Amino acid sequence: MWNSSAIDRRSFVKAAGLTFLATLQPRALMALERADAVYASGMRTANGTYAIATVSERGEIIDQVALPARAHGMAFSQKTGRTVAFARRPGTYAMIFDPRGKNEPITIAAAEGRHFYGHGAFSPDGRLLYASENAFDANRGVIGLYDATSRFERIGEFETYGVGPHDMTVSDDGRMLIVANGGIETHPDFGRTKLNLSSMQPSLTLIDAATGSLIEKHSLPSQWAQLSTRHVDVDASGRIWFACQYEGHRNDLPPLVGSFAKGEDLRFVDLPEETTRRLANYVGAIAIKRAEGLVGVTSPKGGASVTIDARTGRVLREEIVPDAAGIAAAKSGFAVSSYEGEFLSTRSDVAWDQHIVRIAAI
Amino acid sequence: MRLWQPLLLSLALATSAAAQTPAPQAGLNEEAVSAVMQRAVDEVIRPGYRNAQQSAARLTTAMKDLCDDATQQKLDKARSAFDDTVRYWSVIEIVQTGPVIQDNLFEHILFYPDRKGVGLKQVQALIAKADPKDTTVDAIAGKSVALQGLTALEYVLYGTGAENLTTQKNSFRCLYGAAVAGNIQREAGEVVAAWEKPDGVQASWKHPGPQSADFMDNKEAVTALLGILVHGAETVRDQRLEQFYKGKDTTPRPHMAIYWRSKNTWKSMAANLEGLRTLWQKAGMAELLPADKKPVADAIDASFKSLLETVPKLNPDIEAATSAAEKEKLDALLVSTRELITKISDDYGSAIGLSAGFSFSDGD
Repeated sequence: MWNSSAIDRRSFVKAAGLTFLATLQPRALMALERADAVYASGMRTANGTYAIATVSERGEIIDQVALPARAHGMAFSQKTGRTVAFARRPGTYAMIFDPRGKNEPITIAAAEGRHFYGHGAFSPDGRLLYASENAFDANRGVIGLYDATSRFERIGEFETYGVGPHDMTVSDDGRMLIVANGGIETHPDFGRTKLNLSSMQPSLTLIDAATGSLIEKHSLPSQWAQLSTRHVDVDASGRIWFACQYEGHRNDLPPLVGSFAKGEDLRFVDLPEETTRRLANYVGAIAIKRAEGLVGVTSPKGGASVTIDARTGRVLREEIVPDAAGIAAAKSGFAVSSYEGEFLSTRSDVAWDQHIVRIAAI
Repeated sequence: MRLWQPLLLSLALATSAAAQTPAPQAGLNEEAVSAVMQRAVDEVIRPGYRNAQQSAARLTTAMKDLCDDATQQKLDKARSAFDDTVRYWSVIEIVQTGPVIQDNLFEHILFYPDRKGVGLKQVQALIAKADPKDTTVDAIAGKSVALQGLTALEYVLYGTGAENLTTQKNSFRCLYGAAVAGNIQREAGEVVAAWEKPDGVQASWKHPGPQSADFMDNKEAVTALLGILVHGAETVRDQRLEQFYKGKDTTPRPHMAIYWRSKNTWKSMAANLEGLRTLWQKAGMAELLPADKKPVADAIDASFKSLLETVPKLNPDIEAATSAAEKEKLDALLVSTRELITKISDDYGSAIGLSAGFSFSDGD
């Protein structure tokens, strides 16, 4: 997930060019004109096909690109303007999409013996794309490295030093990869079945982006061995925020959100009990609003979104959002989408997928 | 500094959203959930595991008889008992959640697919070594999952060298097979014990709420039940059929089909579908549908009926079934299983007030 601001509406329109604009329906053009910022999100369309859409600040669909199968997370490069949609695990494609409409989408396939885990990130200079992947026969988490200066050839891979990596991001200086190893073993032969719930090993790892060597590994405390670390984002100070999904007893009250900085131990946010219950032991997405020091999380299972003060850890806002899906920084607070087609103040006849990426300035 | 008012609990965005499309579907029929969960547990899941365990017990006995007598008649009986266990297991293996996925019990009962033939090589090596220590349930239980379950036993009974089972009493191959059968019986027994404990998972499933270790409310419970149907149907198509046949423009891999040696491939798939239909019908999942959505149930019933008429008639010789002359039937099966998944996941899920067909909150 990318958290930096990128291009504003005017530059988006300028960069998009006439070709892209000509493809827009009048209604979409109106939406674009009104847009103060732009998001991208995966979705299932009304006829059951899958696509990635660009979305206005109001949540209106501006344009969409068809996808070969269901997507999950996305990556955005503020340097190149490119957006990537990664296949939902255990999918084997990633589609690179240029919202400016200058380049045809590029679809890449996972390497032999690998599948995508649904997330990835660009290096800050936009020259490399990183993707969380499963080397499934060895049950090894890896980060695939792709050359974003050409056709996204796979040029190598790093260990994630854990099992079942899911979300990942890159530090602002580009020197460190941050990986949430969910600790859950899966294999494409068993679909999405979790194979090791009784012996999970979740962790968060910091990896040297130049060499692939392990900088730090933070395993979860033993009493929370079934607390799967799933999603990460970085705040303005470089602090890493993570969100979890719990595989233990449903009536336990595990900590679901935490943070740490390089060289520090993990620190969980002490959420009120009612908030933890509202999140249903399952946070599906996390986003940081850097300017205001806010952490936003959503829970599709609990049907809720929660905003936390990054400085104090206090809950500032809770909203009931049935089937809450993605979350990203908005002009005011956060933009939240849902499987039922809500995106901010707009309802569309689509099912929004689990993540939103912001591709324009706030 | 507090930026916003704390705990400003607002209504769902649905109420304020500028609607571009019709209003969402009605909510879940909460009153009907309890009976559906009760029937799913008491009339489908628990009997399903009990049947599998009892069948495995008969298989163990048949294997021991075969070892004692080493006659063709006893081999036929052991093979028949194996086929029976495959059928009962296939009915209940659609439940890929709960106790069966704890401690790798599922993989201990069924190791499949053996993508690179590693498991087969392990079984062949163990038989070739013929170490008498490897003829007890305890010894087998401590070995690789490839040596413990139904696919290992299939090789014993139907693989190269199986003819020797009738030439020597208490041969290593037979005694190893008996130990594997005993292991399957024991592993299935563990799943049965977990489900039969009155205050255990069965109570948790039947009574969603704060006291449940599995479901905090009815919606979570029904989502899990729907998940069994959807994931079970996906397994039939994506993990079983597509494992050896992905479509007319691809090269079939008949020896990747489950149970191809014993010609149980389609019997197992039919049992999978029977298990799904049993859950759908016996649990009364159609009762969760609003009156005006009953055609959704009719369409699902029709899909099950059609598939259960078609699959058992497919050629049990998988080489022949995937030949050019018969591929068309498999292409049709790929289509009809996809339709079944869509009907359950999208049509039914949406009609009962869940968007569960889109996500089961299963780790993404």
